[in-house]
Amino acid sequence: MNRILNRGIEHKKARWGWFFVLPSLVFFSIFSFYPIINAFYTSLFRKRLLSLRPPTFVGLDNYEYLLKSPDFWNSIKATFIFTLGTFIPIVICSLLLAAFIMSRKRFQKLFQMAFYSPAVLSSVVAATIWLLIFDPRGLANQGMNFLLGTVGTDYKWLASANMVRFSTILVYFWKYIGYFTIIYITGLASIPQSLHEAARIDGANGWKDFWYITIPLLKPTTVLVSIMSMLQCLKTFSTQYLFTQSGAPLEPINVITLNIYNTAIRDHNIGRASSMSVILFVIMLFFTWVQFRASRSGGEVDYM
Amino acid sequence: MNRRFFLVLLCFVVPFSLLLANVIELQFWTHEDPNRTRIENRYIEEFQKMYPNVVIKRVTQSSTKIQELVLTAFAANQGPDIFNMSIEDEYAYIVNGRVAPVNYKAAGYDNKEALLKAYLPGTLAPVHYEGEIYGLPLEITNWCILLNKKVFKDAGLDPEVDYPKTWEEMVEVSEKLTIREGQIITRRGFDFRYPYYLVAFMPMVEQLGGKLISDDGKKAIINDEAWLKFLDYMAAWGPNGLNLGSPTYKNARSLFNRDNNDIGMCTTGLYQLARIKADNPEFYESKEWMVVPFPQFENAVNYVPAHYYGHYYMVNSQKPKENQEMAWKFISYMLSHAEEYLEEVAIIIPTNELLESETFKNYPYSDVFISDLEKSTVVYFSEFSAKVQSLIKEAVESVMLSRVSSADALNTLRRKVQEVLDDQF
Repeated sequence: MNRILNRGIEHKKARWGWFFVLPSLVFFSIFSFYPIINAFYTSLFRKRLLSLRPPTFVGLDNYEYLLKSPDFWNSIKATFIFTLGTFIPIVICSLLLAAFIMSRKRFQKLFQMAFYSPAVLSSVVAATIWLLIFDPRGLANQGMNFLLGTVGTDYKWLASANMVRFSTILVYFWKYIGYFTIIYITGLASIPQSLHEAARIDGANGWKDFWYITIPLLKPTTVLVSIMSMLQCLKTFSTQYLFTQSGAPLEPINVITLNIYNTAIRDHNIGRASSMSVILFVIMLFFTWVQFRASRSGGEVDYM
Repeated sequence: MNRRFFLVLLCFVVPFSLLLANVIELQFWTHEDPNRTRIENRYIEEFQKMYPNVVIKRVTQSSTKIQELVLTAFAANQGPDIFNMSIEDEYAYIVNGRVAPVNYKAAGYDNKEALLKAYLPGTLAPVHYEGEIYGLPLEITNWCILLNKKVFKDAGLDPEVDYPKTWEEMVEVSEKLTIREGQIITRRGFDFRYPYYLVAFMPMVEQLGGKLISDDGKKAIINDEAWLKFLDYMAAWGPNGLNLGSPTYKNARSLFNRDNNDIGMCTTGLYQLARIKADNPEFYESKEWMVVPFPQFENAVNYVPAHYYGHYYMVNSQKPKENQEMAWKFISYMLSHAEEYLEEVAIIIPTNELLESETFKNYPYSDVFISDLEKSTVVYFSEFSAKVQSLIKEAVESVMLSRVSSADALNTLRRKVQEVLDDQF
């Protein structure tokens, strides 16, 4: 009798659960699933954005073209340089910053606000601000010349291939470091204080406490931060777009998303652009899976 | 109850009455230009008074943003009734049947021949496709060199005598005008308009005998020697060469109006004069500026000024016939004010009537612009001109900024442009 009653309650709860997740499911289906399926379908056609003629079915020709195209491989290279150059420092530095902020007795909120504020800015505004800073007569050259004691050196922030890569990484790092720091702060706050106290009683110093207690217990947060930051980096667009519009060379920062945009909007080749987005989707899916697998290898985290 | 009934009634009556009144709403998308906005808003008001059943909504966007907006709107079959862009961006709309041919009667002409006769020969050629005309020109623009006399005098030069006539002289004069703090340029003598490679850079190649595409349209990059000389020149101009300018500095044309002693010369069209007048009337009135012809290389084999380009008003072919007809009427009404466009916006609507008028002849430096325009040819336009332009940009920037050799940059450019030609479908 009790079992039947429990099943009835669970059923009712499940129904309400479905009811509450339905709006997000509908939203997700319309704005995510449908475009993904549509992009895959379009990628099988030769289709011009402005053409009124029906698109021609070409099977996997667009994929074959891309895999043979030096430009596409350059985009893969540019995307990976940017992603590795950005997301690894972001994960490490945001953890260190979060630990630093949590260790402060005063001004915690002030630090959080200061670090988080760039994340509130739109990427376009952020890139525009940095364009002024990276101008040859801007703050970046002035600052470097002051710090290094050089006079009138142009560090070519937007001009040389390596510097323009570094500049895009710097902008992204500056913009998102605060956001991920806040996530780490939430993770740090959820670790029971009693565990730290027990470690101290057992003779652990600050470093050992951080290394053997905090870091292992932060694993779910680290997985979340690393996946989120990696996906953000793979999807980077506006900084590279604005920089190239302002005269920076295209090749070093021609990330996949920028190539997709140019192929679709500049070249009107929507079929090929769709193939590139499908490949990017597969890359993102693969690395997310790899990170999940890697995170599971050490077992689940349990605070009890 | 009565109030609710009245509201419901209103909801039904208003759309029906609009339908009965046959209201035509025209969406008119164009690029930002405050001088144009002022006069075109007035034309809209006047036109709506003449045709009370017409409502015109003018929407402006920056000249780069509008290309994306118009493209995506058309891709979704939601394009505006009327729009204008540069011909390099518009041509694909003609080829793909997205725009309607000119309705000659609605535009105030008896037939196509009468329309062609009204305009400067050749200026409608870019929109002449399969026997029909697909656009009416808002402006035909060619670029010359705008020069700040104060900067010349400050460097001990006489602008009237020492202005650069050749690209070699451009380097010499710029070297004298440029001020640097170490490697950082604080005043450039001259700098190019970097995004506009088809308009202002291709003529340099053509002066040396080079071509972008062979006459039969099948082969990319003609005359390597000319291209290499051009690329070497650009590499020498850049930060790794003589350090006279770079695409990463703020664009020269925008700085010129401010007269802040940071730029000596820039490449621009007649429209710039109206913008100086609006932005910095004191500088405009001081007459401390002048316009000189587009330079040539010393050993040029062809005399080639900057290519001219046109902004053409076009009408969406997917709109109802009555909208199209009214759109051509409105376009024609706007363009009938050619003299006012010249006086207020400094743009040339290339009608024979305007070019023969005293207003045009008396306009400052119109003689310099028209002299170059007469020798100029239209910018390269095709369905792929935007891509080709970006490929030339890549090549030039790679030699200027990334120390790529001119030969390597040219080979890459050839491969990519050839691919564009081979990939046409």
